[in-house]
Amino acid sequence: MSRQETLAMLKAGIMPARYQRNAGTIGICGQLRLLEGKVAVVGAGGLGGNVIELLTRLGVGYLKIIDGDVFADHNLNRQLLCTEENLGMNKAEAAVKRVAAVNSDVVVEAFPYYLNEENAAELLSGAAVAVDALDNILSRRLLSQTAEKLGIPMVYGAIAGFTGQVTTLLPGDSLVGIYKSFKDNKGIETVLGNPAPTPALAAALQAQEVVKLLTGTGELLHKELLYFDTEFNIFERLKFSKQEDIT
Amino acid sequence: MIEVRLYATLRSLIPEAPKGVLTANLPEESTVEGLLREIKVDPEAIHMLMVNGVSSSFELVLKEGDRVGLFPPVGGG
Repeated sequence: MSRQETLAMLKAGIMPARYQRNAGTIGICGQLRLLEGKVAVVGAGGLGGNVIELLTRLGVGYLKIIDGDVFADHNLNRQLLCTEENLGMNKAEAAVKRVAAVNSDVVVEAFPYYLNEENAAELLSGAAVAVDALDNILSRRLLSQTAEKLGIPMVYGAIAGFTGQVTTLLPGDSLVGIYKSFKDNKGIETVLGNPAPTPALAAALQAQEVVKLLTGTGELLHKELLYFDTEFNIFERLKFSKQEDIT
Repeated sequence: MIEVRLYATLRSLIPEAPKGVLTANLPEESTVEGLLREIKVDPEAIHMLMVNGVSSSFELVLKEGDRVGLFPPVGGG
């Protein structure tokens, strides 16, 4: 079935079989919104690979995948899109192959570039949501500033060891409540590394934020951050008290 | 009494605190900064600072029963 046929079915009030198990939660209107949704995923590594997989299966209709990196052996422990066969391949291009194999309803494009000040606005243009699947703090700041300029939400996620944190920034928000300063580009992941369950868990929460943003359902993690530390089964919702704490 | 929760790598700063949880008795009008001096944790190591689950500042004056959460920077992906 083509994307056009899928859209036509949904518009006629029929849920295509491939989305049948979405029906009770997302519904036909929600599914249509997802299929018309445009999401930029910045980073196609640990977080990004999982986010891309989930958004693809959910049926988010347009994906821009941005990553200048190539797969290497040390990605195999956690990066869903990395296989022994595609070592050396650009991550965004590998993502496009995976998306095409899973869901032909999704229009997907690879941008094999690192985000930088010159290209950020252009790479994110047209997206309704930006997903932060980056692996360093300064690029996250650039992404949040660019999302702010474009007036689009950014779904933030970061991981290290057993720990992850997720929040949604809307225009007017920033990362200042999360990072006290931006003098260091890396966090404790340099010590703890990133075993596979942690990016999968954080990415699932990020994908859920995208669904809520695109369908308008539920309650966003806005002005609060979901922090988890699975070593001690900690899940906490941390609140940003004042506008200036996160702006 | 103030309850302090150290998260992730910060736990190793006070290894005798089980799961990174400890209590501190401080003089009245003590700030978060004073607490950190008392428990010998460098403020530089902390990025998110939460008091009773809400973001706060090092200058905040603590009161009896407050729960202070100290978080290092997390940046991986």
